[in-house]
Amino acid sequence: MQELPMESGEAFVRAYEANRAMLEERGMYAPEDEHSSCGVGMIAAIDGKPRREVVVKAIEALKAVWHRGAVDADGKTGDGAGIHVQIPDAFFRRYVIDTGVHADERLGVGMVFLPRNDFSAQETCRTIVESEIIRGGYQVRGWRQVPVDTSVLGEKAQATRPEIEQIIIGNPDHAINCDTFERDLYIIRRRIEKQVVAAQVNEFYICSLSCRSIIYKGLFLAEALSVFYPDLRDEKFVSSFAIFHQRYSTNTWPAWRLAQPFRTLAHNGEINTVRGNTNWMKSHETRMVAAAFGEVNEDVKPLIQAGSSDSAALDAVVEALVRAGRALPLVKTLLVPPAWSNRIVMPQEHADLFNYCNCVMEPWDGPAALVAADSRWAVAGMDRNGLRPMRYARTSDGLLVVGSEAGMVPLDEAMIVEKGRVGPGEMIGVDLLAGRFFHDTELKDWLAGLKPYSKWVKNIRNLEDLVGARPFEPASYERTDLRRRQAQFGVTVEDMELILGPMVQDGKEPLGSMGDHSPLAVLSKHYRGLHHFFRQQFAQVTNPPIDPLREWRVMSLKTRFGNLGNVYDEDPSQTSILQLESPVITTTELAALEAHFQRRMRRIDCTFPADGSESLRVALERVRQEAEDAVRGGAENLLLTDEDVGPDRAALPMILAVGAIHSHLIRQELRAFSSITVRSGECMDTHCFAVLIGVGATAVNAYLTEAAIADRHARNLFPNLTLQECLARYQEAIGQGLLKIMSKMGISIISSYRGGYNFEAVGLSRSLCREYLPGLVSRISGIGLIGIGKRVLEMHARAFGEGAPVLSIGSFYRYRRGGEAHALEGKAVHQLQHAVQTDSYSAFKRYTEMLHDNEPISIRDLLSFAPKNAPVPLDEVESITEIRKRFVTPGMSLGALSPEAHETLTIAMNRIGAKADSGEGGEGKERFTPRPNGDNANSPIKQVASGRFGVTAEYLNAAKELEIKVAQGAKPGEGGQLPGFKVTVEIARLRHATPGVTLISPPPHHDIYSIEDLAQLIYDLKQINPDAKVCVKLVSEAGIGTIAAGVAKAKADVILVSGNVGGTGASPQTSIKFAGTPWEMGLSEVNQLLTLNRLRHRVTLRTDGGLKTGRDIVIAAMLGAEEYGIGTASLVAIGCILVRQCHSNTCPVGVCTQREDLRAKYEGKPEHIVNLMSFIAEDTREVLASLGLRSLQEAVGRTDLLRQVSRGSVDLDDLDLNPILANVDPGPHPRYCAATGRNEVPDALDARMVVDARPLLDDGEKMQLQYNVRNVHRGVGTRLSAHITRKYGMAKLPEGHIAVRLRGSAGQSLGAFAVQGLKLEVFGDANDYVGKGLSGGTIVVRPLVSSPLVPHQNVIIGNTCLYGATAGKLFAAGKAGERFAVRNSGAVTVVEGVGDNGCEYMTGGTAVILGSVGDNFAAGMSGGMAFVYDPDDILPSHINGEMVISQRIEVPHYEELLLGLIREHAVTTGSPLGKQIVHDFQGHLGRFWQVVPKEMLSKLAVPVTLAELEQAARRA
Amino acid sequence: MAADKMMQFVSVPQALPHKRAVDERVHDFGEIYDRFTPAHAAQQASRCEQCGIPFCHIHCPVQNHIPDWLRMTAEGRLEEAWELNAATNNLPEICGRICPQDRLCEGNCVIEKGFNAVTIGTVERFINDTAFERGWIKPNKPLRERPQSVGVIGAGPAGLAVADQLRKEGWQVHVYDRYDRVGGLMIYGIPGFKLEKDVVVRRWRLLEEGGVQFHLGCDIGAPGSPGFAELRSRHDAIFIGTGVYKARALQVPGVGLPGVVPALAYLTASNRKSLGDDVPAFDEGTLSAEGKHVVVVGGGDTAMDCVRTAIRQGALSVKCLYRRDKQNMPGSMREVKHAEEEGVEFVWLSAPEAFIGQDRVEAVRAIRMRLGTPDSTGRQSPELVPDSGFRLPADLVVGALGFDPEDHVTMFGEPELKVSRWGTITIDWSTMQTSMPGVFAGGDIVRGASLVVWGIRDGRDAAASIHRHLLACAADGSALAEAA
Repeated sequence: MQELPMESGEAFVRAYEANRAMLEERGMYAPEDEHSSCGVGMIAAIDGKPRREVVVKAIEALKAVWHRGAVDADGKTGDGAGIHVQIPDAFFRRYVIDTGVHADERLGVGMVFLPRNDFSAQETCRTIVESEIIRGGYQVRGWRQVPVDTSVLGEKAQATRPEIEQIIIGNPDHAINCDTFERDLYIIRRRIEKQVVAAQVNEFYICSLSCRSIIYKGLFLAEALSVFYPDLRDEKFVSSFAIFHQRYSTNTWPAWRLAQPFRTLAHNGEINTVRGNTNWMKSHETRMVAAAFGEVNEDVKPLIQAGSSDSAALDAVVEALVRAGRALPLVKTLLVPPAWSNRIVMPQEHADLFNYCNCVMEPWDGPAALVAADSRWAVAGMDRNGLRPMRYARTSDGLLVVGSEAGMVPLDEAMIVEKGRVGPGEMIGVDLLAGRFFHDTELKDWLAGLKPYSKWVKNIRNLEDLVGARPFEPASYERTDLRRRQAQFGVTVEDMELILGPMVQDGKEPLGSMGDHSPLAVLSKHYRGLHHFFRQQFAQVTNPPIDPLREWRVMSLKTRFGNLGNVYDEDPSQTSILQLESPVITTTELAALEAHFQRRMRRIDCTFPADGSESLRVALERVRQEAEDAVRGGAENLLLTDEDVGPDRAALPMILAVGAIHSHLIRQELRAFSSITVRSGECMDTHCFAVLIGVGATAVNAYLTEAAIADRHARNLFPNLTLQECLARYQEAIGQGLLKIMSKMGISIISSYRGGYNFEAVGLSRSLCREYLPGLVSRISGIGLIGIGKRVLEMHARAFGEGAPVLSIGSFYRYRRGGEAHALEGKAVHQLQHAVQTDSYSAFKRYTEMLHDNEPISIRDLLSFAPKNAPVPLDEVESITEIRKRFVTPGMSLGALSPEAHETLTIAMNRIGAKADSGEGGEGKERFTPRPNGDNANSPIKQVASGRFGVTAEYLNAAKELEIKVAQGAKPGEGGQLPGFKVTVEIARLRHATPGVTLISPPPHHDIYSIEDLAQLIYDLKQINPDAKVCVKLVSEAGIGTIAAGVAKAKADVILVSGNVGGTGASPQTSIKFAGTPWEMGLSEVNQLLTLNRLRHRVTLRTDGGLKTGRDIVIAAMLGAEEYGIGTASLVAIGCILVRQCHSNTCPVGVCTQREDLRAKYEGKPEHIVNLMSFIAEDTREVLASLGLRSLQEAVGRTDLLRQVSRGSVDLDDLDLNPILANVDPGPHPRYCAATGRNEVPDALDARMVVDARPLLDDGEKMQLQYNVRNVHRGVGTRLSAHITRKYGMAKLPEGHIAVRLRGSAGQSLGAFAVQGLKLEVFGDANDYVGKGLSGGTIVVRPLVSSPLVPHQNVIIGNTCLYGATAGKLFAAGKAGERFAVRNSGAVTVVEGVGDNGCEYMTGGTAVILGSVGDNFAAGMSGGMAFVYDPDDILPSHINGEMVISQRIEVPHYEELLLGLIREHAVTTGSPLGKQIVHDFQGHLGRFWQVVPKEMLSKLAVPVTLAELEQAARRA
Repeated sequence: MAADKMMQFVSVPQALPHKRAVDERVHDFGEIYDRFTPAHAAQQASRCEQCGIPFCHIHCPVQNHIPDWLRMTAEGRLEEAWELNAATNNLPEICGRICPQDRLCEGNCVIEKGFNAVTIGTVERFINDTAFERGWIKPNKPLRERPQSVGVIGAGPAGLAVADQLRKEGWQVHVYDRYDRVGGLMIYGIPGFKLEKDVVVRRWRLLEEGGVQFHLGCDIGAPGSPGFAELRSRHDAIFIGTGVYKARALQVPGVGLPGVVPALAYLTASNRKSLGDDVPAFDEGTLSAEGKHVVVVGGGDTAMDCVRTAIRQGALSVKCLYRRDKQNMPGSMREVKHAEEEGVEFVWLSAPEAFIGQDRVEAVRAIRMRLGTPDSTGRQSPELVPDSGFRLPADLVVGALGFDPEDHVTMFGEPELKVSRWGTITIDWSTMQTSMPGVFAGGDIVRGASLVVWGIRDGRDAAASIHRHLLACAADGSALAEAA
């Protein structure tokens, strides 16, 4: 990368503050969107005695996790690092010896950041601190200026460095015990914090204030910790535990206080549910009164300070609970419980404990590796999904080392007595007082014994029991009445036929394709329900979505009715609740609830007069007041209903009513006293349910939909189903849909989703949101109460007017004239095809005119150009050829597209020097070389998606750019499925699968659960292809800017912002319609945030999503994009006529189908695409010329050349595009990517290996190399594999042609994409992602010969090994982590135990597991085979049998196969267990299970049962 | 899955209902296709692809929700299918029979190329015939009667659509027509083998039962009938849907010879005969083709109706003379096919030069044409091929060159009524109103000769506009009443 101009640290800080203030006010930036993630760990002396070694090792460990953080361009400013240790009394006592401190007096120490440059503010703070300490009854023993060495700081960190001082506090009252002292200091700290806020001092921060422990942290690289703080190098600095943390943030803002550890914990990961949790904490706080805090309970509230990060918020709650007297392990369990309710095997006492926890509080959910310590406990715990790595080792001299990676702290292997990992929902801990180590089960046993939880949970009642014998009473209306009511709510024929019908028929949501072409709700001329203004948010990069289909065991819709109690309490009253299986309830169930609650349930009529005599605002005030009165009067349950709509009453939008009441009750501190049940007529699809629950509803009854189902049932539209079954299926479909929507955000539990506003409003008035939906982001404002009221009344007039009510036909999903407009209508489609087929630019111009004449559909339709210069002659504008190079055909997989269409796109784009994207699903090797006629069908961009289909070393090396598809516009946060009937022989070949067998793409990349994981994948890809740039594809949503900043820091070269409208082969309809936001919003946010963080000039920005004309291109440029994806228009050019049946495999023009007969209808030609791209380029030139611009580059980032020309319909409050048009001052940097090459990543061991392997690479000599390895050596063997692939291909060298022997702990991605001929042999252990994408290589991991460990009882390799492997072998003498062999499609492996979700989505290869498997084994496994050695007979309860069968081995063929593999394992790893089994194979055989995918049973060459074998023999 | 019922075109081929054999059907004026069985209709409807952009719907003048009622038909939900169909079309049973679907919905069906279109028209006919039989179709019963009235001139498709739509709203509707039967060209123009007359009569009765008052034999502006001004004073709004009736004349020597007749006179006579009327000109042979050599000049749908009528009347030979070729003729290709099957001989690229005969026509002298180079719109103009004349013997020559509007300004005595230079009435398309306030128009008299379905569309658009107009009038009226 070329040298770029630098700003001084001071200039940067000034510019940053100015830009940020501007963006916060009128840009797309919201500080709460920021994310951070990290490396984390803990060292503890199990005997609880302080040791110097603990501190020293922690400092060393931080030096070995630097790669999990990010470094600024100055090479010194990190995102923060720190350490939490005990207060070394001897160290501090010498500073107070002269102040009359008694030798027995316990000292407290506060680590304080003060404003450095403002001396009067400093004094203010000191005064506050001192007076609060004295007020608390303690003595100030002096301030100590903490020595620091600022030479290690980067300029930016230096510019924001605080004054760092310690305050030493005396406690002359010997009677006060340590716990009291500690609690008092907590209260004192909270008081100080409030006072300082009141004094309006910003830069004040207390890292810690404690009589036990102290936190040293700051904004430097992790390795510089002990240099910056010389204290830590003092021999007197001893501790019994040390928590250390290295941060990776998505911004570059040097904020010292954001460094971790926090007061009790350090966190790696992200709390997905933080919005809901912080909202609920406000409700909990009302009733939170701790005996321990006595009179001062209010002083500690609010528990969560405004502007806290997710980790800080969690820490604040943990701290409060711990200080109030709960044991730290119990607090962890309460806040971050394991999954327990769905068929997960565990002792009943444990389940009861978790059930109790579930009654007390909503889980804090999301990837979380937590280490925490208080006075007694040091614990390390994991979230329910186990989405972060956490490895530990215990030594014979009593040290426990826990951390994100194995090998961070070099330990003598001979002294290690246990190597393990903390699995999903698990927790290990050290009782420092008792000097005892607890394994997970031991700790949970201890917790379960604290209180009689099993007895308490018997108080829980279930709705099912209430419903029991009640009569079935579905909602029902007479036909005309039904129609009138439906018409009031804007229900269409399309809703009934396309959405509701299939939901009932199939029990799941229907699929659609080709993206969303209808207008944004706020731009529509038609009535749109309020839920249409809510866009679902989803996880990308900083946290993973979940697979609700295959991993449902960790998810739950369980809904509780009952008051929120005092969280501090521990008594049986907390469990007196009513529990529902799902928040989706039928009218019958509602009746049961009403009968149960009787007068404790109060009905609130959510309708208002249809004559307009009462405004919506007044009506909302009324319902708020009624709700408040009801709750004050003792109602525990509010029933909000709009069933009173009729000729005189119109319905209040229920979402607004719920939001209004929920927010009002919170403000009145009453929400904890009542549940909100909703009976809504509008609610029909899953999205509407999700919005209602997301804004605070407890349970939802869709009575009108129920009546519609009853009506359809009465008309015999659901033959063979009873009405009860129909309703059950509908409930099931909605439940599944809710799980899907939650899982997109990575949220597992509905109680954490409820009230979490996991949406962005697009087109809702800002003031409306502030008033009724506080916390909901609405950046461009839009429709308010006046407009909503008017439209509701219009619908009412139609519904209850004269004449029979007729449901409108709808045009939301599929075009119908008179309904919603569509971006591409029939005439435009034909006009475009005519233009490209006849090479007629004038015909193309007629097409663009048609589009421009259309009514506004997207945000850019409200924009126009505001030229600043006189036009220039067209011939002065850069050429068509230049402009076309910036065009891309976005990732459309071969599997969605027919091979003919896929090749046409690539050949055409290669002809014009533009880029085609392969899409997910691999590409045949034959396409990598040009054809004899000169056509080149090799896609320059190769996609790496979550399924990793066909992602081999060779595939990756055939690319110029590698695109990591994190999300997809049509269904961000969701996985996909290629149904078996689409898996042709050809596709099976490309994807390394079996023809006719279903292929599943998981929702997340299993090697990207966090930002530093993405950095790792980028690192791996840059290793396996030393030239290719790496692109990260994101989908537009609020907060994408900060994600993009993190992605840029992870060394991506290109960031693609995809719009919500994006095309798709198949996706649930509501996902197409309601997830993600338009690219205009995401792109401008990314551009603003990257510029703010001075990252813009280091990456190329690309966008896609409905770009069709030159005008679109230029607007995209002005909003920041340099490259442009043109998808749908390309498909139309080659014949697509938007039939939208891609998911049905019946494309009549052969574009999007795999059927031979339909493919024969394909008529597209590369010339059509060339013409299309040329026309768009020429159109672009004309626009540029008219603006006086000579190249597209001149337009990039120039939002000053755009202006808003329409503010939408007159009844809107406002529609304000200024946030999109805000322009950040880029300082000395350009507004476009100035990097010429790619952003290079640092070299690791392979740089050395490649030099040493020259004889192999030059002359093909057989070699053996040997090195020591550490966890900082990542991707060992990957770069070497790249060289081998380029020289010899990935399958030419004989096995083991080059053997590399390594000693130590190998870093992440050991042997990623390793190819045939390379053998990696590790003596020691290895971290996550061993054999990721393995492409033929062999990997062996075994303990050191000197190790005393029993291999099969210890963990030797980390999580997500063999992810996406296509060929090769892995032998590991020890246990593997979670998600072993996930999406393996060809590798063969033997390991000695795996964690949860083993062999998930596997489609090929063979896995032999000589030991226990975790939960949910073989979920979604559609190919390959697994053998499990199961002496304890646990497989039946751990296997997910939805797609596989398990049986004892019957057929000799498989016995031989198994024996051969175990023998090879035993020989290569020396595994004692392996040897034992080989020695007495027949004796062990009966303990083996054979796991085979159901779909494969009929396709195996050798059947797996003797009966079938005999049958086959007879046939032969 | 519910949707799986559809998209069956990949496995189910197109199949029309049984078409009666030629030698059977040429002896009567009955329709030539049998009706679908319910199973057959469901199966054919299930071939629909359920497009995201349904081109059938886009290219249907009344934007029938075709994919929706096809799905309902496939699912056996015929009553709902009918409701949806009837919601956009006032005469669906007629459109299902006589629309040139091959140029509209079916011609734009995405599976037409490669799989043959869904048989939309036939399904439509099936749905509506079923609806009539099962009694789902009921006369209009407005919620309340409104006092204001509308005068509709012309009981053709446009006028009937207006009448039907406005009656649904409770307005009083009076329809005036110069003929003695309701239907306009649908009753007298279109032969029974395309549209059996009881189908039209059935609709007539239904409208009558729904409160539409027909004034037949009432030729506005003609002696003995009310004048236009009088009509305006009677009604709060007027709709003109008089159609185009003036036959475009053949302009060659000999056109005045007996035996050279205009198409409409010929077809009307035949239709009246079928309806059981006494038609002397037919009985005496002037307007009958029986035993004659017939030459029909023209290539439109009317020409097709004439040739096929002639066959059924027992002509010795029937030839159709058209100056362009088969690909460039305006008529429905399907009709040409039927005509060819039935024995009509097409003489493409030929135009008459003269009609020859002493007392009556004996032959047509024709000349060969060729198509010139295409113009910018792609249309090729025919040119004469020199010295290519030939003779066709003919006892009856039917001129079917199309129709022009009559002179309404004179007929109605309303110089204010603005007409185009072709004589069509000029309207504001956004309101369907003519230059005279409260006077609306639509159908052929506005468009020039066009399709029944376009007449319906215009009638519906006009009805919506008239409805608004009447509401405004009513509001004014009550305001006046209050003021008084």
